[in-house]
Amino acid sequence: MFKQITNLNGDEMYLITSLWIFIVFFALVGLMLFFMGKDHISYMKQIPFGDPEEEIDRSTE
Amino acid sequence: MQLEQFNYDNKIVRDFGIATIVWGIIGMSVGLLIACQLIWPEMNFFNQYTTFGRIRPLHTNAVIFAFVGNAIFMGVYYSMQRVLKARMFSDVLGKIHFWGWQLIIVASAITLPLGLTTSHEYAEMEWPIDVAITIIWVVFGINMFGTIIKRRERHMYVAVWFYIATFVTVAVLHIVNSIQLPVGIWKSFYVYAGVQDALVQWWYGHNAVAFFLTTPFLGMMYYFLPKMANRPVYSYKLSILHFWSLIFIYIWAGPHHLLYTSLPGWVQSLGVVFSIMLIAPSWGGMINGLLTLRGAWDKVRTEPTLKFMVVALTSYGMATFEGPMLSLKQVNAIAHFTDWIVAHVHIGALGWNGFMTFAILYWLLPRIYKTQLYSKKLANIHFWIGTLGILFYAIPMYWAAVVQGLMWKEFTPEGVLKYPNFLATTLEILPMHMMRALGGALYLTGVIIMTYNLVKTMKSGKLVANEAAEAPSLAPSVVNERSQHRRLERKPILFMVLALIAILIGGIVEMIPTFTIQSNIPTISSVKPYTALELQGRDLYIREGCVNCHTQTIRPFRSETARYGEYSKAGEFVYDMPFLWGSKRTGPDLHRIGGKYPNKWHFDHMLDPTITSPGSIMPSYSWLIGQKLDNSTLVAKMNAMRILGVPYSNEDVGGAVASAEQQAEYIVKELATNQVTVKSDREIIALIAYLQRLGTDIKAGPKKEKSTQVVQD
Repeated sequence: MFKQITNLNGDEMYLITSLWIFIVFFALVGLMLFFMGKDHISYMKQIPFGDPEEEIDRSTE
Repeated sequence: MQLEQFNYDNKIVRDFGIATIVWGIIGMSVGLLIACQLIWPEMNFFNQYTTFGRIRPLHTNAVIFAFVGNAIFMGVYYSMQRVLKARMFSDVLGKIHFWGWQLIIVASAITLPLGLTTSHEYAEMEWPIDVAITIIWVVFGINMFGTIIKRRERHMYVAVWFYIATFVTVAVLHIVNSIQLPVGIWKSFYVYAGVQDALVQWWYGHNAVAFFLTTPFLGMMYYFLPKMANRPVYSYKLSILHFWSLIFIYIWAGPHHLLYTSLPGWVQSLGVVFSIMLIAPSWGGMINGLLTLRGAWDKVRTEPTLKFMVVALTSYGMATFEGPMLSLKQVNAIAHFTDWIVAHVHIGALGWNGFMTFAILYWLLPRIYKTQLYSKKLANIHFWIGTLGILFYAIPMYWAAVVQGLMWKEFTPEGVLKYPNFLATTLEILPMHMMRALGGALYLTGVIIMTYNLVKTMKSGKLVANEAAEAPSLAPSVVNERSQHRRLERKPILFMVLALIAILIGGIVEMIPTFTIQSNIPTISSVKPYTALELQGRDLYIREGCVNCHTQTIRPFRSETARYGEYSKAGEFVYDMPFLWGSKRTGPDLHRIGGKYPNKWHFDHMLDPTITSPGSIMPSYSWLIGQKLDNSTLVAKMNAMRILGVPYSNEDVGGAVASAEQQAEYIVKELATNQVTVKSDREIIALIAYLQRLGTDIKAGPKKEKSTQVVQD
């Protein structure tokens, strides 16, 4: 049994509000990810390899 | 597009790298010394300046802010220049940052053994050093944002997000946790008291782990791991998701350090819930790191840097699984205050922070010296000896924790504590402490081998102080990018503001009601301010770092109330600035120690703990008997307390010294009846006065009245 949430004494509002804030925040970040373009993702992943002399192993891409 | 020529500043990277190694050896050596003191207390060399309570904060601060701190700056300065394709904004600011940070470390290394401490864990340095930290942190921030603004790469790579979050959050944490009222150059009082101070301290303490020991290392992981493995990060989308979730959730989890205390129940529940949720973003980072090695595991066999990274990530995964588990109330009830917490912290420090730092040092120093690593074989030896060191450290500590946690709670069939003497539980785990010291010694040996290897490497090459690079200049953006996050990645200030909002929400929700709603901290009419002498004794308790081994908060468990007495109430701590609840029970809880033993017992115990507790691993505090109590700042201290809300009257403050002397005389007379001769102006008398007061205010009324009478006599 889940007994972690105890002794709230009517202060459930803080907990519920906090969780709602997180859910909304998480959903917004998720939506942003959903609409993100693949070419941009690929571009961002390559940023550390900007040095011209470096060869990148892309065998798994 | 025009190609611009510029140089990367490698000198500042090298400087921070050397500082990392030097302070690492010092911090870990002090750690080994205090580990030995927990077996053989005489290893303090009978010297107050090298006693556990004073140098344990030296170890924690040296490792966190000197070793890890310098490693962060080394990694940030190297990687940020490259992902932003720009030299650091200002060489001068870089130098101020470097030397300012080293000066702060030296000042801390001098003041902490002197007993100049605020007692807030991982923030023990007194206010002048806090001010210096703020200034140098701002210098770092200006240099960082200056570099971001003059960058040649339009979008900020994921590593930079973590650096921005680190900068802004550490600034907020440090400022809020350092609000103190100075009494003198090396003495101050926190403006928060009791429960509120505890909440602030653990909001800070937990998030110092999050935003000093975690987020900058995640940022470095996102740069150095792909470089070491020579393949891009596994999932960029996962990095976005775990970045925002991590910084949002982490800030709420601090109260899990205060479960079953007198912190309001709803704050504890919030801490538990968000701690459990935290496992998702934490593991998101770990999985992203490990999967970056997908298809490159053959390199792990041959490259010591990747070996270190794999153990670092595994340790991160383990520590971030353990954290939420320890936040479960049922687990916390047994594990809290035991060596489990020490093991948990060291899995993170030795495995995650230490091993990633070593990997970066091995990878980076040969590159900036344009040479090869002197010996891959020695690096492999370092890896195995370090891994063995972590195992020898952590496993005995887990074992010790289970043994001690269960012994504390065991009752006989007759319903009394099976091990009523706390010392029995301490002595039982000494063999585990010996194993832990061996683990620490192995780990330190590995670091010394690394130092030799890196010194030889640097000698075989020449520092490329200004590494030539070129990149197209950054043209003004004319495209309105479709994705919100894509737009955000090229707006550093907006990014910082959003990160700031994300980290502020948790703190605001938890702190403001706790600070403003009276019902969260019910007052108790019988709880009175400390007398002048008790206040002096309390400051000695703080100076000697007693809080490092003794808690002052009794949880509402039968096993604790049977051992220590009535459980602690929020209203009992309203005059405690700072709170002294502690986080580890190497010795017993002291909240109800007042009146439990006669004055002579305390005198003997401080003179030689083995007189009263044969076999005790507590060191002797004999200097308290010889040293004269300094009353020169007593009036200023009481005035400061009054400003902070303690209801001292004008008579209390004006007559503070006389009152302290009067109470001291009474204690000395009482001691004399037990054949103890000591002067009334010695420090030991003030400490006895404080200890005898602890936890007595809510006991039966007549006793309190008697105590007051004693002071007035």
